[in-house]
Amino acid sequence: MARISRRQLTNVLGAVGVVAILGGLAFGLPAIDQSLPAERQIPDDEPYLIGAGVTVVPPAGATLDVTGTRPGDSEGTVLFRVGPVRYAIAVRPFRGDLTAAADQLRQRIVETTGYQVTSAQLKVSTAGGLAGLQGGYTAPGRGGRYAVFVGDGHTIEVTISGNDLDLGRTLPRIEASTRTLR
Amino acid sequence: MTVSAVRTPALIRVPAFWVMLAVLAVGGLRMAQLAGQFFTSYPKATATSVVLFALLAVPFWLVVAELDFFEPEPAKLLVLAFAWGGLVATTVSIPGGVALENLVAKLGSPQLAAGWGAALAAPTVEEIAKTLGVVAIVLVARSQVNSVLDGVVYGAMVGLGFQIAEDIVFAVGAVALAGQGDQVQPVIATFLLRGFLSGIWSHTLFGALAGAGIGYLVVSRERGRPHRVGVAVLAVLGAWGSHVLWNAPLVVDGLGNGALALLLVLLVKGLPPLVLILLLVRRVHDSEANYYVGRLARLDDPELITEGELATLRSGARRASARRLAAAGAGRAAKTAVRRLQRAQARLAASPSPQAEAAVREQRAELRRLGHPEAVAGPGPRRHRAWTIAATVVGIAVLWVALSALGGA
Repeated sequence: MARISRRQLTNVLGAVGVVAILGGLAFGLPAIDQSLPAERQIPDDEPYLIGAGVTVVPPAGATLDVTGTRPGDSEGTVLFRVGPVRYAIAVRPFRGDLTAAADQLRQRIVETTGYQVTSAQLKVSTAGGLAGLQGGYTAPGRGGRYAVFVGDGHTIEVTISGNDLDLGRTLPRIEASTRTLR
Repeated sequence: MTVSAVRTPALIRVPAFWVMLAVLAVGGLRMAQLAGQFFTSYPKATATSVVLFALLAVPFWLVVAELDFFEPEPAKLLVLAFAWGGLVATTVSIPGGVALENLVAKLGSPQLAAGWGAALAAPTVEEIAKTLGVVAIVLVARSQVNSVLDGVVYGAMVGLGFQIAEDIVFAVGAVALAGQGDQVQPVIATFLLRGFLSGIWSHTLFGALAGAGIGYLVVSRERGRPHRVGVAVLAVLGAWGSHVLWNAPLVVDGLGNGALALLLVLLVKGLPPLVLILLLVRRVHDSEANYYVGRLARLDDPELITEGELATLRSGARRASARRLAAAGAGRAAKTAVRRLQRAQARLAASPSPQAEAAVREQRAELRRLGHPEAVAGPGPRRHRAWTIAATVVGIAVLWVALSALGGA
C-alpha cells in the first residue's frame, strides 16, 4: 500500500480546512441563524414605523419578525406574524399611479412558481383616506391576500399569506391593521 | 521567482485538486439551478444580462492576465480562480450573507440590520469565500504562486468571477422587482450602474488585495511566520474594510438616490480604496518587473535587449507606447513584431535558455527587416494619457445621461 507523504497530508488537511470554512459559511451560519428566535413582542396599540414615514398599527397579538423588517428613510419593510399567518408590508419609492403599482405587484406574484391571482381587484381605503386596490392569490398549500396603496411618491404593498383556516381566523384583525396605514 | 508550467498529470496527483474539483462541481450545480430558474422566469432578460456581463468580463480578464507580463499565469489556473469566484464563492455567500444579516437583526435590531446589515454581512462572508479561492490555488499548484503579484492576479480573477456572477443575479433581481415581466431595461440600468460606475473598484480590487496577502504569506519565506501571517491578515482585513466602506450607509444618508449622492459615493467611498489598491498593485508589479529587467540587463547584449528597451519593458504603458510607435512608423506588422519581441524578452527573463535567446534574435531580425529595429516607447505618453483621461470623462458623462434616462441614478 502506498504511503502518504507529509506533503500530501498537509495538502489534504489544507483542502479539508478550506471545505470546512466553506461549510461553516454555507451551513453553519444559517444553522446559528435558525437556532435564534426571530420574533419580538411589540405593542399593538401604537403605530409602527415601516419606512419613509409610513406607519401601521400592528394587529392584536402580532409579533414582529426581525428577519423581514428593515426600516429606512426612503423605503422600508416590516414583517408581522399573526400566529402562523405572515403579514408583510413594503414601502418603496414609486413613480406611477395606483393601477400601475397594482399591476406590478400582481405580476410579481404570478411570476413566482405556483402562484396565481384568484379574483378581480376591489377598491379599498385606509382610515387616513389613502386609496388602494386589493385582491387574492393562491400558492401551493396556502392562500393569500394583497393590497396596494400609492401616495407621496411611494407604493405601499401589503401581502398576507397562510392556510385558509388561519387566514379566515386572522384576516379581520389584519385588515383592521391595514386600514391604519398612514 | 521561477517559472514552471502547470501540467494536468501533475495536477491530478494533488489531493487538493480533487477536493477543489468536487467543490466546484457542487457550486456549479447550485448556480446552474439558479440560472435555470432565471431563464424559466425571464429568458430574454437573463440572456441579455449573461451576454452583457460576459462581454464586460473580457477587458477585465485581459488587464488582470496582462498584469504579470514576465511570468503569465497558466490559463487553466486563471479559469479555476474565475470559476471559484463565480460558482463557489457566490454559492456560499448567498445563504451565508442572508444568515449573517439576520443575525445582525436578531442580536442587534432591525434598524441596525437595515443600515449596516449589508455593510457587515456581505463583506464578511464574501471576502472569506473569495480569499479561500486563492488558498485553493496555492494548494492545487503551489509552484505557480511564486511572487506577491501571482497572488494579486489569482485574487483579482476570483474577484472578477464573483463580480460577474453577482452582477447577473442583481440584474435579474432588478427585473423581478420591477414587476413588468421579461423586460431588459432593468438589466441595462444594472449593467451601467454596477458594471461600469461601481465595477472597477469592487470585487476584482478587493480580491487583488486579499490575494496579495496570501501571495506574501506563501512566498516571503525570508520573513518569520508571524510576520507573514500578520501581513496576510492585514491584507484580507483591508479588502474587508474597503468592502465595508463601499456598502456602508455613509455619505449617501440624506442625499437620496440622485446624481450628487452617486458622485459622492464614487469619490468618497470608491476612490480611496481604488487608489490605494492600485498603488499597491503597481508597487508589486514594478518590483517584479525590476527583478526580471535586472536579469535581462545582466545579459549585456543589445541584440537581445537595448538600454531603451530595458526601460520600456518595465511598464505596461511603455510597452503599449512602443507598440503604438512601431505601428505609426512601420505599420501593423511592426506592431505585431514588437509585441512578439516583448513576449520573447519576457520569456527569456523568466526562463533563460538558448531557445529563448534564439526567439528574441528572430524577432529582432524581423523588426530590422521592417525598418524599426528597436522597440522603445514613443515620446508622447502624456498626450496619450490626456486622451485617455478625456475619453474616460466623456464616457462617464455618457453613462450618467444613460442612467438618468433609465431612471437608475
